[in-house]
Amino acid sequence: MPFQEAWVEADGFRIRYMEAGEGPVLVHLHGAGGLRLNPAHDLLCRRFRVIAFELPGFGAVENQRTQTMQELAATMAKACERLDLKRFDLWGTSFGGKVALWLAVQQPELIRSLVLEAPAAIRPEGTQPPSGSPEQVARRLYAHPERMPPAQMVDAEHSARIVALTRRLRGPDRDPALEAQMRGVAIPALVVFGTRDVVIPPEMGRIYKDLMPDAHLVFVYDAGHAVAAERPEAFVEVVGDFLEREDAFVISRNRTVILP
Amino acid sequence: MKVSYFETGRYHAPHAMPPVWPMPSGAYDQAAGTAVYQGMVDRITLVEKLGFDWVSLSEHHYSPRILTPSPPMAAAYLAARVHKIKFALPGPIVSHSNPVRLAEELAMLDTMADGRLVVGLLRGTTNEALTYDLNPQESRERTDEGMELILKAWTEPQPFGWQGRHFRYRTVSVWPRPLQQPYPPTFALGTSREAGEFAARNKIGLGVSYGPFDVMGKATGYYRDQCALHGWEPTSDQIIFRANIVLAETDAEAQRAMEAYPAQAAFALGAGVANALLELDTRNIAGESRPPSVNRALPINFIGGPDTVVEQIRRCREQTGAGIIDLGFNTPGSSDPDLLTASLELFGRKVLPHIRDI
Repeated sequence: MPFQEAWVEADGFRIRYMEAGEGPVLVHLHGAGGLRLNPAHDLLCRRFRVIAFELPGFGAVENQRTQTMQELAATMAKACERLDLKRFDLWGTSFGGKVALWLAVQQPELIRSLVLEAPAAIRPEGTQPPSGSPEQVARRLYAHPERMPPAQMVDAEHSARIVALTRRLRGPDRDPALEAQMRGVAIPALVVFGTRDVVIPPEMGRIYKDLMPDAHLVFVYDAGHAVAAERPEAFVEVVGDFLEREDAFVISRNRTVILP
Repeated sequence: MKVSYFETGRYHAPHAMPPVWPMPSGAYDQAAGTAVYQGMVDRITLVEKLGFDWVSLSEHHYSPRILTPSPPMAAAYLAARVHKIKFALPGPIVSHSNPVRLAEELAMLDTMADGRLVVGLLRGTTNEALTYDLNPQESRERTDEGMELILKAWTEPQPFGWQGRHFRYRTVSVWPRPLQQPYPPTFALGTSREAGEFAARNKIGLGVSYGPFDVMGKATGYYRDQCALHGWEPTSDQIIFRANIVLAETDAEAQRAMEAYPAQAAFALGAGVANALLELDTRNIAGESRPPSVNRALPINFIGGPDTVVEQIRRCREQTGAGIIDLGFNTPGSSDPDLLTASLELFGRKVLPHIRDI
């Protein structure tokens, strides 16, 4: 794996990140499970300079200070500034999708395009993040749990801390303050859901389009909540194309000539 | 028990044809072809009058056996001419179609037919892989994905893109949408584990065909078990059993007619192609492997005089749980449309009134 581990001091936190690749900068904010690289990162770093942050509190060091999504988003904007990232593409996964949206509404000038992978910013009432044994989590995250890579050993105390942090920060299932501001987002956005997501129903995707009419909605067939990890080639193909061509990514460049 | 009449578009050939598939299109006779479509109108008008619940139309290609290569087009033509009977399409072959186009055409049809559409989504018989250059080893996966895309196209109110394995679209937003909401009664067709699981997961019906009742019962039983795992129970109206029938005034007469029923398909593939397809195409019944059907004549499930057929339909219901039988009326040894009409009238008079309480 070409990714290198590094740290940046920002907003009073020492923030870990993984970086690989050259080209336009693509910042990734992970889901509530923490920073885990998957084959989509490897594919994307062939075309982009991928910087995958670990959100403060989701790694080895506890975070008791951050109280809201807005604060977390502001911290991550500062981390980007410290890395001298002036304008970049932002990819947020699930919980990280909500952080990414807050970052986009708070500091739109930083963001070129936004990719929201199974975002958790709009949830049916009572939605809970996946928890339990690695097998139980796999069944919630993946349409085909056998595709989940072997779980890293995480001690129970660490897991409990992350669950508490997620609950504290995730905010309401529908957040009127965020949704009101989403209507004004002028950043090209791509919302991606797996057709077999059982954590957040893919039907939530249409609400993003209701709120952000210029956003694009794409379903990845036969993927669960962990879209990029479960079908990396399908995810990266559409994301890469969108980031490269923005709205024009809807125009096919497939060649269908079989024999000249 | 509800009854559907399987309209095949009977082609009464004016001259002998070679027993091959594909049938050379040069063997086609325009006058006989024109008569086919008028005959369809006449028979469907008749079965509506007789009280049949549905008429069904299927997609097959390159042969005079079934002259509806485009079932939506046939249904649109017919639905404008009768006004009560429902049109079941079991179905368009999903594996070799553009699923978005199918979603559009079926929604059009449901609207034009005033909500009388019933949809079956089909993988296709083995030989149909040759029709539009489909790799038979991909047909299962393409069918599963295509079916899911069709359901999504009918239900998603916002334009969307689709990153599939076999299908990719960047913009899907079908107009019109089906008149029946969220979509017409829809069935996955087939005996396979995959068809049963897909139907159960998507809360749609299942259609099985042509096998013995107990064997088809395994497939419908598996489907019901899967539905239970997904927290719901299908009604008998959500199980279709498609079968052939040879009906006569008496059992003896029906048995005599069966003497002319061939063992081989009337229009067969060459041995080399047939054997290669047998190797490439894998099929199963509720997970148990079965050989694909290539070049064999389809079995007849209902044979006899009216009383015998009523009892067979009762057994079918008991063993398969089907609430709808979709019947192909056979007149072995003859393609004379008048014999078919006589058989339909006999069914309407002497069978139909006795199966409603089954």
